[in-house]
Amino acid sequence: MAASRRTFVKGSVATAAALSAPGLLRAQTAPSKARTVRAVLHGDLKIFDPIWTTANMTGNHGLLIYDTLFGLDDNRDVQPQMVDKWNVSDDKKTYTFVLRDGLKFHDGQAVSSADVVASIRRWSARDGAAQHLFKRVADTPIKDDKTFQIVLKEPYGLVLDALGKIETNLPVIMRKKDAETDPNQQVTTKVGSGPFVFNEDETKSGQRYVYDKNPNYAARKEPPSGMTGGKIAKVDRVIIENMADEQTAVAALKAGEIDFYEVPPIDLLDQLEGDKNIKLDVLNKGGNVGMCRLNWLHPPFDKVEARQAMLHLIKQEDILKAVFGNPKYYRSCGSLFACAGLMQSDVNTDWFKGGQNIAKAAELFKKSGYDGRPVVILQATNISFMNNASLLVAQWLKEAGVNAELAASDWGAVVTRRAVKKPVAEGGWNIFITWGSGEGFDNPIGFVAHTANGDAGWFGWPKDDLHEKLRDDWALAATLEERKAVARKLQENAWSYVPMALLGQWAPPVARRANVGGFIPIPAHVPFWNVEKT
Amino acid sequence: MLAFTIRRLLSTVMVMTTVAVFIFLLLHLSPGDPAAIIVGDNATPAQIDAVRKQLGLDDPLAVQFVRWLGGVLRGDLGISIFSHEPVNKLIGQRIEPTVSLAATTILLAVAIAVSFGVLAAWKAGTWIDRLVMVLSVVGFSVPVFVVGYLLIYLFSIKLGWLPVQGYAPLADGFVPWIRHLILPSIALGLAYVALIARITRTTMLDVLAEDYMRTARAKGVATGPLLMKHALKNAGVPIVTVIGIGVALLIGGVVITETVFNIPGVGRLVVDAISQRDYPIIQGVTLIFSGVYVVVNLIVDLSYTVIDPRIRY
Repeated sequence: MAASRRTFVKGSVATAAALSAPGLLRAQTAPSKARTVRAVLHGDLKIFDPIWTTANMTGNHGLLIYDTLFGLDDNRDVQPQMVDKWNVSDDKKTYTFVLRDGLKFHDGQAVSSADVVASIRRWSARDGAAQHLFKRVADTPIKDDKTFQIVLKEPYGLVLDALGKIETNLPVIMRKKDAETDPNQQVTTKVGSGPFVFNEDETKSGQRYVYDKNPNYAARKEPPSGMTGGKIAKVDRVIIENMADEQTAVAALKAGEIDFYEVPPIDLLDQLEGDKNIKLDVLNKGGNVGMCRLNWLHPPFDKVEARQAMLHLIKQEDILKAVFGNPKYYRSCGSLFACAGLMQSDVNTDWFKGGQNIAKAAELFKKSGYDGRPVVILQATNISFMNNASLLVAQWLKEAGVNAELAASDWGAVVTRRAVKKPVAEGGWNIFITWGSGEGFDNPIGFVAHTANGDAGWFGWPKDDLHEKLRDDWALAATLEERKAVARKLQENAWSYVPMALLGQWAPPVARRANVGGFIPIPAHVPFWNVEKT
Repeated sequence: MLAFTIRRLLSTVMVMTTVAVFIFLLLHLSPGDPAAIIVGDNATPAQIDAVRKQLGLDDPLAVQFVRWLGGVLRGDLGISIFSHEPVNKLIGQRIEPTVSLAATTILLAVAIAVSFGVLAAWKAGTWIDRLVMVLSVVGFSVPVFVVGYLLIYLFSIKLGWLPVQGYAPLADGFVPWIRHLILPSIALGLAYVALIARITRTTMLDVLAEDYMRTARAKGVATGPLLMKHALKNAGVPIVTVIGIGVALLIGGVVITETVFNIPGVGRLVVDAISQRDYPIIQGVTLIFSGVYVVVNLIVDLSYTVIDPRIRY
């Protein structure tokens, strides 16, 4: 039987309608475009446990679906968040906390003291600041469903700061049954009590992660400020898109396919600035601080003179200019605690004020007994800052008479090799480049790169007993002024023994569509409460 | 032919085993540690060691290989180190975009390239022939990502006709599905258009010079049937061979195209996995790609018997 043209057309229309039906149905149930914010952040979301990992992508996920007991406001003062009331005993050893009314997990279960205690216990097994705190914790008794305590063996000045910290690992509150997961295993459920609910059905791993407004979220009455105040979801849905290609993400932003791009490439900022539909904002004022980690285990950086030489060798301005171009997004900085926080100072920074002095560096290398052996720099070629900084440091080392060798690879290979403690000839290393958040640098306890406890510490394994004692003093200080005084001592000591060299500070902007606003500026993360779309 | 097919399928097992060993060793002997990546940049060496142990990455290489191969033989490609999802499931989720992209690209490329090749051969020596050849050289020389960005700039940003990126499943409707595939298919298909067009032209020129073509013309066969029925069918074997090679080469191009156009296919899956050293995903996808390559070659070999009845195995 031959089909007529009319039959063919009818068949085609019917087929198209049948194929389109599921999509139309889905379109009717999804929030409208005007109530949905699509964002591209700095990477893909692979791990969903913000207590378990230090990855900031997981931190972003954590801020969407979980809540914290305390938080830092815009002035960096600690404010209660899930906590309603709290007090500390006269001997400063017993903290009592009462949870707010109406806190509920996304499964409808009320948040209880048992959930909180299990969560902070789990966090204490993963986080540096928490471990420092919990070394002094005698007990965490549960008084009733909404009341719990932290009982200390000795007074400790950073209890609330630790519970309100913004750097990963985040002290988020999970359900007790999730928080009781072995701290070495990831929690894979995504049930919190935060302002957004994870939408498992709409999420496509590696492609997009979907969060819907939590209609039962009990927001605080105060206006939003940093990590505190009313975390009100003003859109119905947030979609985090995983977009690997920067150029594509910029094109998608320009075409209005996404609303927010956390890390627009520096070389395309001019293009974005000229687009009236796009706005650039610096949300993370503290930005990031580059560091040149020196391997203390092997020559030449096992000698203090060689490490001091690095301070005179590096010209931060040149590195920052090479990577970030526009000076409005970077600054050189000589403070061990970066140049945006409360602990910064210029104590013992003559090396910084004096500027680059290659002759002096060469003299110090000679004094260290440097014998011309290769100095291997791990060069992560797939990350522009690490790549360019490695090239410049290698060049300056050569100018200072050091036999610098670049070991080029991707970052994935660098993170493996940097853990090797063997000599260079057996696969070890001398230098690798990385960065940390400005906020992290401001905290001698919470930031792992500030440890100087040798083998047990972070890559490079610096060891200085005075530094470790001063870190403890800083944590135990009762007031901010006392902490600042200890920080000055820490810096004075550090720039004498030189745990690492710094490479400058930068705070690049985020890019957003002009009709999307209300982003709360906090370090290292992008919160989506308070975000509006017009 | 049955014996030939069985022999080829058996040799496929050998090829796949070799590929499996090679992929495993290549990955595990290359620098990179998923444990270090998974715990984040600020993790301590002790935390990294704990994760490595938990993932079984501190087991001897032979133990890890036997464990993985045992799973593969049971049809289980393992569990992703990062997402904790079965690799089979992750590949299953990503297969539709990749197959869609590959299918539209091949269809587009073959339709355009064969037409262009036939046209160039028919009009050999004229400006049409030269134009087709110039376009072929350009198509073959410009990298996929350059073509991709140019297409995005023109058709998405300047004209706003087509989406910049992403993928709409066929279940969401044919129109959004094809709208998301037009630019990636053109970008990816350009090189294949060039390759297939050139081969078609060359082969057609040979066939058009044959005596039987002159006879057909003398008998008054019209140009259309002459080219398509008499000439093209006889020029089919080399063209099908090139199309087969093109399908295999397409796998490499898919990876780049999926990244440029943010298509959540198997190519993107493996690119993300490589940067994170997610061994089970890389091993699984590479094994499947190898299998596709082998099967496509087998199909091409078998198709010769249909195109040219003189060929028998």
